[in-house]
Amino acid sequence: MAAKLEIEPGSSNAYHTGDWRTQQPVYQNKWPPCSQVCPASEDIQAWLALASEQQWQAAWHKLAERNPFPATMGRICYHACESACNRKHLDSAVNIHALERYLGDRAIALGWSHKSSCDEARTQRIAIVGAGPAGLSCAFQLARHGYLVTVFDAQAEPGGTLHSAIPDYRLPKSVLAKEIDAILALGIELRLKHRIGKEISERDLLDQFDAVFLAIGTRQPRPHPYDDGTGKAGSSHRVTSGLEFLHRLNRDEPLIIPQQVAVVGGGNTAIDVARCVRRLGADVAVVCAQDPHGTHQQDLATEMPASLTEVIEAETEGVQLIYRAGVRRLVRSGAHLSGIEIAHVDRVHDRQGHFNPILFAGTEAFVAAELVIFAIGQEADWQGLEGLQQTTEAEGVWVGGDAVSKSKLAASAVGSGYQAAMSIMASLQGKSLVFDAHQKTKITFRKMQLHYYRKQLRREGEMNAQRLDGFKEVVNGLAEHDAVDEAGRCLSCGVCFECDNCWHFCPDAAIIKKEDGYAVDYDYCKGCGICAQECPCGHIDMENIETPAKASTS
Amino acid sequence: MDKRDPFRHNVLTAGHRACSGCGEAMAARMVTDLIGPEAIYISATGCLQVFTTHNQQSAWQAPWIHSVFANSAAVASGVEAALRAKGKDTPVVVQAGDGGTFDIGLQCLSGLIERGHDILFVCYDNEAYMNTGVQRSSSTPHAVRTSTSPPGRLSQGKQQLKKDVISIMAAHHMPYAATATIAYFPDLKAKVEKAMSIKGPRFLQVLSPCPLGWVHDSALSVTVSRLAVETGLFPLVELEYGELTGVMRLVEQKPVDEYLRPQGRFKHLFNSQDGAMELRHLQALADTRIRRYGLLDAHTQWDTAHAMQSERHGRGGYWRGSEHGR
Repeated sequence: MAAKLEIEPGSSNAYHTGDWRTQQPVYQNKWPPCSQVCPASEDIQAWLALASEQQWQAAWHKLAERNPFPATMGRICYHACESACNRKHLDSAVNIHALERYLGDRAIALGWSHKSSCDEARTQRIAIVGAGPAGLSCAFQLARHGYLVTVFDAQAEPGGTLHSAIPDYRLPKSVLAKEIDAILALGIELRLKHRIGKEISERDLLDQFDAVFLAIGTRQPRPHPYDDGTGKAGSSHRVTSGLEFLHRLNRDEPLIIPQQVAVVGGGNTAIDVARCVRRLGADVAVVCAQDPHGTHQQDLATEMPASLTEVIEAETEGVQLIYRAGVRRLVRSGAHLSGIEIAHVDRVHDRQGHFNPILFAGTEAFVAAELVIFAIGQEADWQGLEGLQQTTEAEGVWVGGDAVSKSKLAASAVGSGYQAAMSIMASLQGKSLVFDAHQKTKITFRKMQLHYYRKQLRREGEMNAQRLDGFKEVVNGLAEHDAVDEAGRCLSCGVCFECDNCWHFCPDAAIIKKEDGYAVDYDYCKGCGICAQECPCGHIDMENIETPAKASTS
Repeated sequence: MDKRDPFRHNVLTAGHRACSGCGEAMAARMVTDLIGPEAIYISATGCLQVFTTHNQQSAWQAPWIHSVFANSAAVASGVEAALRAKGKDTPVVVQAGDGGTFDIGLQCLSGLIERGHDILFVCYDNEAYMNTGVQRSSSTPHAVRTSTSPPGRLSQGKQQLKKDVISIMAAHHMPYAATATIAYFPDLKAKVEKAMSIKGPRFLQVLSPCPLGWVHDSALSVTVSRLAVETGLFPLVELEYGELTGVMRLVEQKPVDEYLRPQGRFKHLFNSQDGAMELRHLQALADTRIRRYGLLDAHTQWDTAHAMQSERHGRGGYWRGSEHGR
């Protein structure tokens, strides 16, 4: 006969070791550094995660939520995200722009269409002036949310600066056109060749629409001291502006380019112009007032503002760069332009921070050129909008994009359009403005455990070998298998990717694995901190808790 | 029964009284969940036995027997023989600390192996008698401060070396003997699963940091055990019938300082001339172990970087059956 136990043992579950702890883990999504610096505030980590699982369409939708131009931006954006990427502390940054382009190209190839995020039919009408990246981004967001949107543009083609000033070797026109078509397919009305003040008056705009968004961009070249008012490359003086040159090139107008060309300016437009001139078969020198990249650690304002990768590509294509030089005068023999006289630049900006270089006497040099192109900035053209320029958001007029923002990046314009749309919607619905659900804490690589990640080579798009032969694209897109690998390189900074470390390493079985993540069982967590210490991506924070003893004394 | 977690049995469940950050509790939870609740577990006296069975409460959700310090292997031998006599193939697992393995339990363990019982013997090696107040054991490494090997004028902590128990086990010509640690779960999992697939006596030595006795922050248990491997001081090896059949290659050898600095038990080495010499001694011991097992140049895909990779959506859980597997 079996003896019966006198004492039945109980489960230790009855004893709550959670009382012991003085600190506790909390799962907390962070905003990764790439998204923090993205001018369009894309949730980069989220769409990379979907891409790494080959959920291409979901990834594209996630990306387009904030930026409906992935194929375009993947090509032309200067990707601040990659400079911020924590992966550079392990091997090299994730090739975010190539993946953005891959998703955009895939969407174009397969004809994906944008999703509307609202079933509600709204009756409010919104006018958008300018069919550039800011205007179309705003139109996209509003249309997605069910508003009736009409976009006005003075030009014959939509796209704004993307269409008129980006050379084909960086952005083929067909790519831009298809992305714009996908946006317009949401039911946006586009009225081209409509200039406010000519085809439609300011008054009509305010009367017919519930809100107006001005995204007129900067189409006016900043005047240079040698402007004779004609501004034509074909004029006898052979002086023009970078913007005018690019507009004419993009409209396929015939251009007569001499053998030697000088470009004045240190921005991305100057580099674009110089690379175009090389493709037209001429020799080109860029005269720039600033120092080369990497010469100043502290004062970046004295470095050339153009993107470093663009400068490197320009140099490999044979563009000559003359740094720390300013134009003193044009050198003519009779009516014929023979070049420019340049001199050493001492100080680039004056005390007020304005561009105002000082040229040193006695340092003059001659640069031979039969055509001089000034790419020294551009301005908004408010002609016809003088009335609306004075109005405010309270009167139903919003302003955004390059015309008003300091940053002139295309991605900033997209971000500006998004913000305007959110603000307009909040105003029309009488709600307060809400942007992000993500907690905006910084996550640096020091808070991460990089040894949990495998080193892996960065995948690059192939370079086109015969690139100076016409305006073919310089960089090719990624192949599918490379795109999968590259997306998988994302460290998922601050955002849980369910690696199970916290769950495996908890000595107290206080972390419960669920279908969609983990939960801490605070009845048993002793607050040792191992989960936070071993979390590869810094998703877990330890927070101090007030012990009962402390609480009673305070 | 604790059924809080749908993805794991929690053979060693919550509410046990181990110190915060206990490496042994972590190791035991991993090992027993990998084996499952169907086995019979025998625990020698030690931390694990004390903190899991407290005041009429048990943290074990599986059959569990407590033996005295010396005879866990002998008790297990009897359990295994009885099961064999009844024609059952229930797995039998012994769990003991380094005291119950290296010192007090060594004789019975040697007998178990020699008689060829079908038992897995797991040693959670925390390198001293932690339960009774951190006294030195034969597993305590050289130059460690414990309450019975205090550093002073005559010595810099323990004078003797750590007993090379895995070689003693291998010398029994036993089917499987391996070392593992908590930092590399995929490695531990592979070794437990391999051990459970072999018939006969098997031995597993799992390095389990003790925040109390090693005097490190409770959050660093995994980090410290990882550094023990990466410095070469604790080689991860597999031995079958006395032959070396597997090692975890070191992608990069870290200096022993990195392992020693976070631990208060080595603190005395960093502020004296004699201590500096012992640091060089410990580095030389690490170099010797790396040479002996070929840790830097072994021809194997299994290395410290691969075993660390964090994969999206889990690195493999506890269920071997497909219906639970992810």
